[in-house]
Amino acid sequence: MLPAMPPHHPVLDPAVAYPKIAGLRTALDDGDWPACRGLLDPAEPAERTALIQAGADEPGLEDFLRGVLRADPADGAAGALLGRHLINVGWEVHAEERAEPGCPECFRKAERVLISAAAHSPGDHAVWVSRLITARRLELGRSEARRRYDRLAELDPHHLPGQVEFLHHLTPRRGGSWERAHRFAVEAAEDAPPGAHQPVLIAEVHLGRWRETGRGHLAGETVRAELYDAAHHAVWHPDFRRTHGWVEVVSTFAMVFALLDDQQAAASLFAELGELDSAHPWNLLGDPATVITKYRRNAERAAGGDR
Amino acid sequence: MIRLTEVDGIPAVVARTGGPTHAGLVFRVGIADEPLARRGITHLVEHLVLGRPSAGHHRNGATGVEHTYFHTQGTADEITAFLEGVCAVLRDPPADRIAEAAEALHAESAGRGRDRLPMWRYGARDFGMASYPEWGLDRITGEDLHDWIGRFFTRENAALWVAGDGPAESLRLDLRSGVRQAPPAPSAAPPGAPAWFAGDSDMVGWDTVVRREARAAVFANVLERQMFRDLRLRGGISDQVRTEYEPRAAGSARITAYADSLPGRREAVLGGMVDVLAGMRAGRIDDEDVATVVGLTCDGLKHAESRGGRLPGQAFNLLAGRGVQGIGEVLAEVRAVTAADVAEVAADAYREGLLMTPEGTAADWAGYAAAPVSSGPVVSGRAYRGRKDRALRLIHGDEGVSVITGDATATVRYDTCAALLAWPDGGRHLVGEDAIVAKVEPTLFRGAEEVVRDLDQRFPGALRVVMPARDPSAVPAPVAGRPWWRRET
Repeated sequence: MLPAMPPHHPVLDPAVAYPKIAGLRTALDDGDWPACRGLLDPAEPAERTALIQAGADEPGLEDFLRGVLRADPADGAAGALLGRHLINVGWEVHAEERAEPGCPECFRKAERVLISAAAHSPGDHAVWVSRLITARRLELGRSEARRRYDRLAELDPHHLPGQVEFLHHLTPRRGGSWERAHRFAVEAAEDAPPGAHQPVLIAEVHLGRWRETGRGHLAGETVRAELYDAAHHAVWHPDFRRTHGWVEVVSTFAMVFALLDDQQAAASLFAELGELDSAHPWNLLGDPATVITKYRRNAERAAGGDR
Repeated sequence: MIRLTEVDGIPAVVARTGGPTHAGLVFRVGIADEPLARRGITHLVEHLVLGRPSAGHHRNGATGVEHTYFHTQGTADEITAFLEGVCAVLRDPPADRIAEAAEALHAESAGRGRDRLPMWRYGARDFGMASYPEWGLDRITGEDLHDWIGRFFTRENAALWVAGDGPAESLRLDLRSGVRQAPPAPSAAPPGAPAWFAGDSDMVGWDTVVRREARAAVFANVLERQMFRDLRLRGGISDQVRTEYEPRAAGSARITAYADSLPGRREAVLGGMVDVLAGMRAGRIDDEDVATVVGLTCDGLKHAESRGGRLPGQAFNLLAGRGVQGIGEVLAEVRAVTAADVAEVAADAYREGLLMTPEGTAADWAGYAAAPVSSGPVVSGRAYRGRKDRALRLIHGDEGVSVITGDATATVRYDTCAALLAWPDGGRHLVGEDAIVAKVEPTLFRGAEEVVRDLDQRFPGALRVVMPARDPSAVPAPVAGRPWWRRET
């Protein structure tokens, strides 16, 4: 008799996939700003934005980063990191104390830091990505969100973290429509180079719409075909690269195919991920660790046949 | 070269210029000198002096914030005739033509947009007057006119400029005698921190007050170029952007900036403007912009010098006790302006800035403080209840009137009341010097007719403004529970 498979424990910490995050966390813990800059400055924009996003999760950064900014108000990295950190603080206040979505005063505080960061470093991708978040949280209006996205797109028309944020602004919840969001995702995917991560935006739109409007949405033939097509242009494309963000992209398509009940496809993507997983988008279904464990088991069982 | 001289006892600046001969007579008086209930009186004087436009003869006038001038172009004889004619009317103003002139000025102002920033910065007084309509026109008497002219349109309060061959020897400026009037002092303290209020159009507006100097004028033009790039070229969120630099007599300058928004782009125009101002404050000043603006400014100054275009400004300066500034000195001052200078002005300008957001938007998110919309403590006195809205209260006391909605109060004390607007239907609005309006509408409060009677007794004369009958639909009708008052003109 074969030994039982060891249970899968999802590894959700992005630092496992991207070791630079661990380095950044250590440097932040040590209050070693030159070391932080040493990690952030050479990073590619998408990687830098992701590093800032991950680093900003560290607790208690405000005093340290404000100190850095006092010494050099033009330090865009510190501004971007502090702005993002204050956004996260806004969310925690929500989680702990409030029934409303987040803490508007915290988001205003974040926005003020980000205004200054954008004033000093208008070419900082991470600042504009964060300002897309504050624009949403502070309800600054769709035309302002568009302006911020345009400023980002001027720097890089394919900055996925910003495209993901801007997508939220186009959904019905923000006064847009699914059609508008869909069009943006398709165009972003078409404009991106072959094998780029952008087709994941199409998956994001369909998952969002599925979540808002119900299970039926993914069952449609057109939607199904489009999701396979998106996978062919991204995770199944020969030029797909494991650059920063790849875990979330593969993980998203794994969820898509699990929901489409193509366990074969889901299993192959889980295999590609190895021990890695990402909390998003599984958190749409509940506690990500629990949900991922369940879906991985189902996919492996169905794909591998009964053992 | 501009030469300082005296013509019939009045200080004058004269320059031989290449263009046509022109001349002007300026007085240190403007709308900032007017009390609210006499708002429009200076314009009325200007209008009476110039009379009906006559064909083929260039004669002009302008009523500004601090200066009023009469200007003409022509032969030496024509100029002499014009200036002596101006003085003759000021000696003996045609009181019988007041009503006709007031009518014409009402027609002229109809449909004119108003600059709302001044009243939010200064209230219903001095430099805030620019925000208000010419409410005083209908009650100005011959005596008012005589007094106003006697105070402001005098020999001691005048200066002259002449471009061309110089004034005729025979020119007599037969004005009444009086005293030099100091420039009005702004009565409101500067905010000391950026503030905002919500406008009522699709425009974003901004103004600030800085020291009057060449680098501040350069800043205003660099700001416009940056606005053009960020709001118009980039993203196409605005069609028209403009800035203006207005020097003031007492040594400060007002800078204004406006941008309209293309349909559906209000929030973006606001956000873009916030970023433009923050960027310049952060010292992001384009060297090339500064060089371009300095070059254009110098070209403009040289051109103006050759045509006598700098003379009016120099005449204004004489009234402020300044000497004549030669073109060489002015050009040197402009040429010396660097990007670092402009950045310094930008930081000061930002701190003193007042932002008018497009209708339906706010700027608290951007670190701007809300300009106050309610005033002083509620007066003590008798309370009158709102007819439908139980949260609405009118308090009428010996010191003033308070109107209370759910969460806001408008208090106007009688001793700081700038005007009482009175409508034939019984509506009375008390406008405080701080621009707060307490609206006493008998249609909205039970028993408020007796408040109206009391106000009419308290304000029979100088502060009373008689308003034309309102369309019945414009008379407020009781509404359940929504704030209905706010600062407005």
